[in-house]
Amino acid sequence: MSAFDYNKEALKNLKIDDTRILDRLVDFESARSVHLKKDHSRRDKRLSLKDAIAEFVKDGDVLTDTGFSYVRTPMQAYFEILRQKKKNIQMIGSPNSNQSYMISFGAACYSHNSYSGAEMRGYDRAYSRAVIEGKTRILSEWSHGTMAQGFKAAQLGVPGVFSKQLLGSDILRYNPYVKVMQNPMRTDPDPVVFVPALYPDIAIIHVQAADRFGNARMYGPPINDIALAAAARRVIITAEEIVPPGDIRSNNKGVVIPFTAVDAVVELPFGAAPGSMPGYYYWSRQWWEKLMRWACQSQANINEYFEYWVFSCKDQFDFIEKLGGAKWIASSRRLTKAEEYDNEDLGFDFSYKEFKTLETETGIYY
Amino acid sequence: MTDIKPANPLEMVAYNLSLQIEDHKVVYVGTGLPMVAAILARKTHAPNITLVYESGAQDPLEGGMPWSVGGPFTWRKSPMILEMSYSFGQAYNGYVDIGFLGFAQIDMYGNINTHMIGIDLMKPKVRLTGSGGNNDLSSLSEKMVLVGLQSPDKFVPKVDFITSVGFLTGGDSRKKAGLLGQGPVAVVTNAGVYDFEPESKRMRVKTLNPGVAVGLAQLATGFELLKPDGEIPVTPVPSAEVLGILRNEVDPLRVFTSMPGA
Repeated sequence: MSAFDYNKEALKNLKIDDTRILDRLVDFESARSVHLKKDHSRRDKRLSLKDAIAEFVKDGDVLTDTGFSYVRTPMQAYFEILRQKKKNIQMIGSPNSNQSYMISFGAACYSHNSYSGAEMRGYDRAYSRAVIEGKTRILSEWSHGTMAQGFKAAQLGVPGVFSKQLLGSDILRYNPYVKVMQNPMRTDPDPVVFVPALYPDIAIIHVQAADRFGNARMYGPPINDIALAAAARRVIITAEEIVPPGDIRSNNKGVVIPFTAVDAVVELPFGAAPGSMPGYYYWSRQWWEKLMRWACQSQANINEYFEYWVFSCKDQFDFIEKLGGAKWIASSRRLTKAEEYDNEDLGFDFSYKEFKTLETETGIYY
Repeated sequence: MTDIKPANPLEMVAYNLSLQIEDHKVVYVGTGLPMVAAILARKTHAPNITLVYESGAQDPLEGGMPWSVGGPFTWRKSPMILEMSYSFGQAYNGYVDIGFLGFAQIDMYGNINTHMIGIDLMKPKVRLTGSGGNNDLSSLSEKMVLVGLQSPDKFVPKVDFITSVGFLTGGDSRKKAGLLGQGPVAVVTNAGVYDFEPESKRMRVKTLNPGVAVGLAQLATGFELLKPDGEIPVTPVPSAEVLGILRNEVDPLRVFTSMPGA
C-alpha cells in the first residue's frame, strides 16, 4: 500500500490508476536518505557536461526546470539530455516552459505544470499538441506560487505548508498532491490548502560562478533555485566560470547554494544560451521567435530546427558559432548590459528584425 | 498639438488600466498592457507607485518595455530581488495593493481561465499556458483588475476551467471559499470598463468606449451584462498629452500598443 494519500478526485480527473508514478516527488524519506548517502566532503566535483548528465540524470527522473523559462536556465544541459536520449522524464517547474521541446523529442513524457508558454508570445503550440496527442501525461496542475511553496517547504525542512492559494479553483481538482483543510489554528471556518514539500530527483542550475566544490554564486532573479538546490536528490551546477574558493569566500554576496547539496560542477560558458544570462549575454530573440512561431507549428518543423541547433552541435560552442560566433557574443553582451544601464548604451535601440526577414542574413541571431 | 491620431483600442485599454492605479500604491504586474499601464500611471497621475513582479523583481528603474518577466528590464537596478515564493508572500501579507490579470475566458463572476479550451484537461481542443501567477494573485491581492479583449468566445457563461477565482458563484462565495482581498474591482476591455454589482457580484457595465453602444457590448458578451441605472457614461479618453507620453516615452517601439496588422 502506498504511504501517500492522494486527492482522489484529482486522481480520477487525471485518470491515474497506479499512483506510484506520483510518489517520488513527495517522498521525503527517500530524498533524505539519498542526501545522507552522498559524499559530504569538500572535494573537487568538476566534470564535463557529458559526464555529469550521463551520471546524474537518469531515465524516469523527476527533472525540474530552473531559472525563469529562458533567463539563467541551463539550456545547453537540456540539449545534452536530448543528445544522450534520456527518456521517461517527469518535468516540473514554475515556469516549466522548457518541457515543451523535451517532450517533442521524447525525453520527457510527464508534466507537473504551473506554466508552459512564452509570455507575450502566447501559448506554446508544440506543448498544446503534445497534451492533445497524449505525448505527455499531466500528473499535476499548480500555480506558480503554490509550486514555489512546495519547493520552499523542502528547503525549510518541513513536511509542507498551508496556503491560501488555489481555493475554489479547478486546479485543486487536477492536483493529487494538495488538500483543502480547516486551518487548525482557527475556531471559525478558515479553508486552507496543504501543499506538501516537493522533492525533484534532479536540478540542474546554471550560475554565473561556482568554485570546484559547488558553492555557487548567482546574479539576477533566483526564482526557485535556492529552494530547489536544497530539495533535489541530485544537483548539477553549470557555471559560466569556475572561480577559486578564495574568491567565493571574499565575494560571498550572491552565494546562495552551499557545496554540500551539489553533486557535480560543470564549467559551461554560454550554458544558458540561447537564453539570457544576467551580466553575461542577452537572449537570442530571433532564435526564440523562430522556435515559437515556426518550429512549434509542427513536429516536422521542430525536428528540422533541433537537428540544426542541437543534434548536429556537439556542444555549446558549436551552437554559439551558428548564432554568429564572436559577433553574437559581443552584441549579446552589449544588449544585456544596455538593458541594465551598465554601459554607455542608454537609450539603445532594442528593435530587431523578426526571424522572417533573416533571408537577408546578417549572420547573427540577435 | 496638431492632429494627434486618436487612441487605438489597445491604447484605450492601457490608459484605462492606468486609471485604476492610485498613487503611492504597490502594483503587481506581468508583461504586456498592465506594464504599459503601470509605467504610464507613474509618468502621469501616480509618480510614487512601486512595481513588483512574479520573478521577484522589486521596484526597477524604468526604461524600455520588457520581453519577459524574468528579463533585466523588470529588475534593472532593483534594490533587491526576492525569490518567487516570497514574491507572492507579499500579496498574502498585505503589501500588494493591486494586481492585474489577463485571461483567455472570463465569466459573469470574473472567474478566469488560462488553462484550456475544451471540456477535458487531458484532451483539450487547445492547451493554454496554465496558471503561472494568475491564481496566486487572484487568491491573495487586495484588489485585482482583469484585462482582455472582449468577444463572445472570451466572455462566456461558464469558463472551461477555473484557473483563478473572481467571485466564484457570486454573493459571498469568494469569501466562503477562503480567499483574501476584495476580488476583481474592474474589467477593462477594448469595448469598455465593467465593475461587479455589490450584492450578486455579477459583471456590470460601468462605462463604454466612444462609439460602443450597450447593445454592441452585449453582443460581444456570452452572458447577460447588468446595466447601471440611468445613462451609461463614456469611458475616459486619454488627452493628447497623455497619448504623447504613452507613444513617445512608455512604449515608443509599440511593443504592446500597436494594433495587429496595423
